[in-house]
Amino acid sequence: MTALVLGALLAAAAVALVALPFFLGRGEDLDAFGAAEERRLELIDERDRALAALKELEFDHRVGKIDDVDYRALVGPLRRAAAEALQALDADTTQE
Amino acid sequence: MVALAVASVLAVFLIYTALGGNSIALLQPSNLAGHAGTVSLTGKVRGPVTGDAKSGSGLRFALRDIQGQSPLVPIVYRGSVPDLFKAGRDVNLTGHLEGSSFVASQMTTKCPSKYTSTPNNKA
Amino acid sequence: MADLGRAALVVSLGLAVYAACAGTYGALEKRGRLVDSARNALIACFFSTAIAAIVLALALVHHDFSFVYVASHTSRDLSTVYALSAFWGGQEGSLLLWLLVLTGYGALAVVLNRRLLRDLIAWVVPVVGAISAFFAFVLVAVSSPFQTQVPAVDGAGLTPSLQNPYMVAHPPMLYLGYVGLTIPFAFAAASMLSGHTDERWIVATRRWTLAAWMFLGFGQILGSHWAYVEVGWGGFYAWDPVENAALMPWLAATAFLHSVMIQERKGMLRVWNMILVALAFELAIFGDFLTRSGVINSIHSFAKSSIGAWFLGFVIVTTLFSLVLILWRLPLLRARTKLESALSREAAFLYNNLLLVALCLTVLWGVIFPILTELFLGQSRTIGRPYYDFFLRIFGLPLLLLMGIGPLIAWRRASVRALVKTLRWPIAVALVAGAALIAAGAGSSRPGVIAYTFSAFVMTTIVVEFVRGTRATGSVFQLIARNRRRYGGYIVHASIVLLAIGIAGASAFQTTREQKLAIGQSMTVAGHTVTFRGLEHERSGVANETRAVLTLSGQTSGTIRSGVNQYFTGDTSREVGIHTDWLRGGEDTYVIFDQQQGKDVYFKVLIKPLVNLIWIAGFVFLAGSLVALWPDAREQRRLVARLALARG
Repeated sequence: MTALVLGALLAAAAVALVALPFFLGRGEDLDAFGAAEERRLELIDERDRALAALKELEFDHRVGKIDDVDYRALVGPLRRAAAEALQALDADTTQE
Repeated sequence: MVALAVASVLAVFLIYTALGGNSIALLQPSNLAGHAGTVSLTGKVRGPVTGDAKSGSGLRFALRDIQGQSPLVPIVYRGSVPDLFKAGRDVNLTGHLEGSSFVASQMTTKCPSKYTSTPNNKA
Repeated sequence: MADLGRAALVVSLGLAVYAACAGTYGALEKRGRLVDSARNALIACFFSTAIAAIVLALALVHHDFSFVYVASHTSRDLSTVYALSAFWGGQEGSLLLWLLVLTGYGALAVVLNRRLLRDLIAWVVPVVGAISAFFAFVLVAVSSPFQTQVPAVDGAGLTPSLQNPYMVAHPPMLYLGYVGLTIPFAFAAASMLSGHTDERWIVATRRWTLAAWMFLGFGQILGSHWAYVEVGWGGFYAWDPVENAALMPWLAATAFLHSVMIQERKGMLRVWNMILVALAFELAIFGDFLTRSGVINSIHSFAKSSIGAWFLGFVIVTTLFSLVLILWRLPLLRARTKLESALSREAAFLYNNLLLVALCLTVLWGVIFPILTELFLGQSRTIGRPYYDFFLRIFGLPLLLLMGIGPLIAWRRASVRALVKTLRWPIAVALVAGAALIAAGAGSSRPGVIAYTFSAFVMTTIVVEFVRGTRATGSVFQLIARNRRRYGGYIVHASIVLLAIGIAGASAFQTTREQKLAIGQSMTVAGHTVTFRGLEHERSGVANETRAVLTLSGQTSGTIRSGVNQYFTGDTSREVGIHTDWLRGGEDTYVIFDQQQGKDVYFKVLIKPLVNLIWIAGFVFLAGSLVALWPDAREQRRLVARLALARG
């Protein structure tokens, strides 16, 4: 008997939980990103990647994994890439 | 490039296992006859179990197919007898045919019950 | 109460199917409320599965023998802990455990990531739902733990050899690993289904993958230790199909963990990563199929039941699904950057991946060889240990070496000059170690010496990294705390090195001897003298226990008891005696009581150098993984800010 009652309760609770969103009326918006936002996300990722690469280079240099010669050779292009990524992102955000 | 590497690796295995003679046949008592060389034989132990695995004449018993009727294959085993060995259990033997008997030097057992996550002994 | 369990599983099935169907429809049509409803269904599915699990657990603990499952796997005299562990001792219970972990993980993943894009999660739900639906279906229709019978007086009991702590820990841990690989797979599939093939699915699932990988890895070490001390043949890994079933997905997951680092930094290898994560998932399911179907002669195999066919079907369907998805999204996944140099860290990661996947495929080939030969040659053939050993060396040793080179080689393009400069200390240490080892006699095994030398090389690189880092940051704790991924990773590498040393020692440099001893007689193995002193007999609640008492002298000293238990059920089980000498680097003297003949005993003695490093490696592995896993509040904030910025 208890099994039956518990079982019924379980089924009811399941149905309630599943039906809940239809009554809360949160809205249909799926937070989907449009093309513009996707592009901006790509620029953000570019920026983050460039900055992370720079940060990693600095760290590796600091701990001595990369010597001064290599550091000087590598830091220029990485800084340029980071600057470019920042600029591109800036341009995109100020466009609105 | 990656696909090529993977393909060549696979080809290496194929060749190695096919030609290297690294595989042995998996047999049951019903299809053992005629196989020469070292093979792996799996079956159900049929008593009586006599002898001593450590003696020259070895442990003697018979083996039949795990499922279904099959002729009995006489087994001569010399080596370590694994835990769980007894008549009615399923075992796996590594050895070769000598005349009508199967002479084996390695044996492993399987748990007889339905479920088995029982780690079994290797001799 | 069995009715409640059955009902709960039916409810789970219904909810899972709903989550899959409504979720798919909602994600396709972009209906937010339907998507939320499907998500709730997945969460509810976990709760109803939990209720089913509780019903089974209570039945086990209360020895309710009206449950066929309880009667088959426990007995009245079984302690509570082992009665509970019988939950996963059989087919039906272990399936229920799988579903419980799956729905638990699924619910947790969608709840934790709800701030992430809803339209990615919208697709995760139906994927997890569909997979859950399969397991729920099998539990409801094919293999139910809630079959009842007229209550038996007592149950069949748990095999004595399974009544140990390993039975409590090893299977659940492996399941936490196997099932955990479903989550990154679901997110990967969701990213392809939603069209968002950038790195967000990787970032979201990084810790999941790491956790699953950690459980799977540590679970295997536990299993190996269990085999070593309990099963007692002197080894710890038999290349048994069921052991391999855990190794294969673990290797694929290891490759994946490395190659995602490339994707995060360079946007490369995206197709490869999709393939890898699907491979890891499929191998986990395939491994489950192997274990359950008994399709291959394995000492671990479950009964041959129809369940094998269902699982095979599931593997085929999910593999096709993954392939179709990847092919469909191939244009989106194509990399924008290419590999610049064959001598770079990117290349090193690629080689690491190739080697790991090669090893994984080696094992897979070995596992399915009996099936393939039966199908194509009409005669089933099996591959022995030498095959695995050979390929483990061919792929494993270079992998070991790469572990040392990878972290030190520069990104994009490394110059040989710079590489040699960074590696000069590790190379020097390795050469010295190699020479010393050969002088000490280790040259008897070439692969063994190579393994040791490479290990010395890698260990030095790791130590150098820590020393340099500590010098720069001031404290080693700060260093690790601020760079958890990197230094956690180094700790894990160190554990692999320990593992390699332990395996090399215990296999390549092992000595074995068999001899019959009378009381008072001795045998000498590799400088260890083992003397048989006498026999002890004891009677426990379940068995007659015979123990041979042996003393050790020579290279090491101590007392060992090794013997055999004769259970009243009629079974016998050997209890090996192990003496560990930590002063000799964790070397074991391993004595097997082979056979008694009158008052004499046949003993098999193995000397296994460095074997205990393997178990230590397990703990180091755990520690390193936990460090790498540890949540980083800063990282979370950055992710949220990133999304906010994108929205403008």
